[in-house]
Amino acid sequence: MAKIERAQKLFLKALKEKFEGDVQATKTSFYHFDGLNQSPRKKEFMAAAKKVELRRGISMYDPNRCHLGGLPMGQRQLMTYEVSGTGTFVEGDDLHFVNNPAMQQMWDDIRRTIIVGMDLAHNTLQKRLGKEITPETISEYLHILNHAMPGAAVVQEHMVETHPSVVDDCYCKVFTGDAELADSIEKQFVLDVDKLFPAKQAEELKAAVGKQLWQAIHIPTIVSRTCDGGTTSRWSAMQIGMSFITAYRMCAGEAAVADLSYAAKHAGVIQMGSHLPARRARGPNEPGGILFGHFGDMVQANRKYPNDPAKATLEVVGAGAMLFDQIWLGSYMSGGVGFTQYATAAYTDNILDEYTYYGMDYIKDKYKVDAKNPSAKDKVKPTQEIVNDIATEVTLNGMEQYEQFPTAMEDHFGGSQRAAVLAAASGISTAIATANSNAGLNGWYLSMLLHKEGWSRLGFFGYDLQDQCGSTNSLSVRPDEGCIGEFRGPNYPNYAMNVGHQGEYAAIVASSHYGRGDGFCLSPLIKITFADPSLQFDFSEPRKEFAKGAIREFVPAGERSLLMPAR
Amino acid sequence: MAYTPQYGPGKSIVAENRRKQMNPSVKLEKIRNVTDEDIVMILGHRAPGQAYPSAHPPLAEQGEPDCPIRKIVTPTEGAKAGDRVRYIQFADSMYNAPSQPYQRTYTECYRYRGIDPGTLSGRQIVETRERDLEKISADLINTNLFDPARVGIRGATVHGHSLRLAEDGMMFDMLQRCVLEGGSVKYVKDQIGVPLDRKVDVGKPMDDAWLKANTTMFHSLVGTAFRDDAEYVEYVQRIHSLRTKYGFMPVE
Repeated sequence: MAKIERAQKLFLKALKEKFEGDVQATKTSFYHFDGLNQSPRKKEFMAAAKKVELRRGISMYDPNRCHLGGLPMGQRQLMTYEVSGTGTFVEGDDLHFVNNPAMQQMWDDIRRTIIVGMDLAHNTLQKRLGKEITPETISEYLHILNHAMPGAAVVQEHMVETHPSVVDDCYCKVFTGDAELADSIEKQFVLDVDKLFPAKQAEELKAAVGKQLWQAIHIPTIVSRTCDGGTTSRWSAMQIGMSFITAYRMCAGEAAVADLSYAAKHAGVIQMGSHLPARRARGPNEPGGILFGHFGDMVQANRKYPNDPAKATLEVVGAGAMLFDQIWLGSYMSGGVGFTQYATAAYTDNILDEYTYYGMDYIKDKYKVDAKNPSAKDKVKPTQEIVNDIATEVTLNGMEQYEQFPTAMEDHFGGSQRAAVLAAASGISTAIATANSNAGLNGWYLSMLLHKEGWSRLGFFGYDLQDQCGSTNSLSVRPDEGCIGEFRGPNYPNYAMNVGHQGEYAAIVASSHYGRGDGFCLSPLIKITFADPSLQFDFSEPRKEFAKGAIREFVPAGERSLLMPAR
Repeated sequence: MAYTPQYGPGKSIVAENRRKQMNPSVKLEKIRNVTDEDIVMILGHRAPGQAYPSAHPPLAEQGEPDCPIRKIVTPTEGAKAGDRVRYIQFADSMYNAPSQPYQRTYTECYRYRGIDPGTLSGRQIVETRERDLEKISADLINTNLFDPARVGIRGATVHGHSLRLAEDGMMFDMLQRCVLEGGSVKYVKDQIGVPLDRKVDVGKPMDDAWLKANTTMFHSLVGTAFRDDAEYVEYVQRIHSLRTKYGFMPVE
C-alpha cells in the first residue's frame, strides 16, 4: 500500500455548491439559517399541508410544532444533493421514493417482469397436437399476446377488458441466440441482442442463450402495484395460455392446455426474485429475493459504458441503494423515512465516485489493471495480501479525504453513510482488480475493520454488526454461512438486516464481471430482458433517471388520472 | 496461564492514549470538579435530593433464589438497592475529542461492572443502575475522558459529531443544551433537552494542543494520520486475514 497522487476531486463541485465558504475549513457558523425556511421543498410541504388540513379537517405536517417540541430542523444548513454522475442538484426530500416516480418505476419495472421460455410450449404444440410452428405463427401469437397481456379477451364472448391507456406499459418481446430465428420474427417483437449490446457482450450472450426462444414479459405496472410480485407470473401465464389457444386454434379445455399452463407458470419461468421464507412473508418477484448477480444483470450501465466499469458499477450502487435500502429494508421491512438519508449518501455528491476512481488509479498504478479496457487478461490473483493491500489503500485514502475536506465529512454526517461509502469503494476496487466477487466482499470487510479502528466508530447500533463478523463468512461457501457473491442476496443470512449494504454488495458482485467486460454476471436472460429500450425506466442510467424523478421530469406508468376527475 | 490484556496495538500517541484510557491500572486524570448535584441535573433522571426510584425491592428483602451465578457475582450498590437502570449518553466530536465511541465502550468495560454500553457512530450510551450511573458519570465528566466543547452529553438529537466546529470551537448541537459563556461551558438543558432551573458549569474547554495530545481518534488534518501508525494498520489486516482463513477452512 502506498498513497498515489490524484489531482481530480470529483466531489469538489458538489461541496462548493452545497456549502458556503472554504470547503476545507474546520469551522463554520450555525443557528442562523431560519430553520426550515431555507428549504424550498420544506416550505412547499408546509403550504401543501395547510391545504390538506382545510380540505380534510385533520391536522398534518406541522414541523414548527411537532419537531422536537417546537424546534424545527434547519439549525444547521439544510443541504441540497447532486445526484452523482448527473450534475443535477436536488432536494433530499425528492430522493425519498414516495416523492420520486422514477424510483417507484424502477422497482415497478422489475416486479412486473417475468421471463418465460417458449420451447416447452412449442414442443407440446408440435409433438402432442401436431401444430406447425413457424416464424409467422410465432409472430401471430405475439400479436395476440400483446393484445391479451395488458388485459384483453381473446377467446370468450362478453368479457370486461382494461383501458389501453392505463396499461400502455404492458407488452411482450422475445429474444434468442439464434440469429436466423431472430431475423425471421416481426421486428417490433424482437430484442435484437446484436443491436443492443457491444459486439463482445452480444457474442457471449447469444452463445449462452443458444437456440432457445424466450419471452420477456412486462405486465401492467398498475396490476403489480395493486397485487404483488407473485402476481406477475400468474397474470402473464393466464394471458399466455389464452393466446396460445387463440393463435393455434386449440380447444379451450383440452388437457394439452395444462401443459402450456405448467410451462408458463412453473417449468419455463424465470422469476426476478425467489420466494422468501415465511418469516419474511413475501412471494416471488419481491426485492428480498433478487440475487446480487441478477441485479448486476438488471442494471445495464455496463452495456452503455463498456469501457468504464467503475461508472457502470456506481450505477448499480445507486439502483441497489434505492431498491434494497430505501424500498426493501426501509419500507417493506422497517417503515418510516430514515433509510433514505443513509442510502442516498452512496449515490450523491460524487464522493463514492471519487473514492472508487482513486481505486481504479491505484490498481492501474500498482497492478497494471486497466479499468478502461475491461479484460480477463490483466486481472490479478485474489490473494489475501493483494486484497488487503487494495482495500487498505482505498479505505485510508477515503478516510483522509473525509478528514482533509471537513465539508465532505459533514455531508456524510452519519457513520453508516461513511462506512458504506468507504467499504464500497474498497470492495469495488478489489473486485475489479481480481474479477472475483468474494475477494471484493472480503475487501469490504477489511475496510470496515480499518474504519472502526481508525476512527473508533463505525455505523449505528445494528448497522455494523454484520461488518464486524463479515470477514469470516466472506470466503465461506458452506450452507447457511456463505455462498459465492453472485448467489448471495438481500435475504442471505448475514445480510438481511441493515441499510447501507445490499446495494453495495450487489455492485461489488457486478463489478467483478464489468471489470472483465463480461456480457452478463449471472443470467444472460435477465441481462437481455432489461436492455429493452421500451421499458419505462432506463436501466442503463439509474441515477440520471432518479435525478429526473427528483426534478419532476420523469413520466411513470400506471397512472390513474385518466379514470378520475381532475384535481 | 493468566491473561494479560494488551489494550491494543500501535506506536502512535493515539494508540498510547487508547491504552491508557482502557487500562484500569492507569488512573484517569481528574481535570474538573462538577458536583454530584450538578451531574444529577445534567442526567435529568431524578431531581437533586430525590430518593432513588426503585425497579424492585432491595435484594436483601426480596429473597434471592439459590443460584450459583448469584453466589459468584457480587451485585453493585445500585443492584443491591433495586435501582432503575438509567443512562448517560455522549456525542464525541471527530475533531480530537478525548474519547470516541468504541474507545468509551472498551474503557468502560475494563473499568466498571454491571454496565450495558451501546456504541454508534455519533453517540455512545452506557446504561446501569442509577446510583452506579451517577458515580460512573462523575468519572466520565470530571476526567481526561471529557472536554466541555468537543464532547456533548446528549440523550437524543445527538447530531454533531462529524460536523465542522462552530467558530467558538463548540461542537454543533441543534438543541444547544450547553453554551460557551465567559470562557466556560454551561449546560442550560439536561441531556434530553429539558431546560434546567439553573445553569450547570462544566468548566473551560481544553485547548487545541491538549486535545491533540490526548485524543483517541486518528485524523490526518487535525491530529495523527492512521496511515502513519503502520503497526496498527498491520494488526487490523492480520486479524482480518486470520478470520477470513478460518471462515474458509475452519480448522485449528
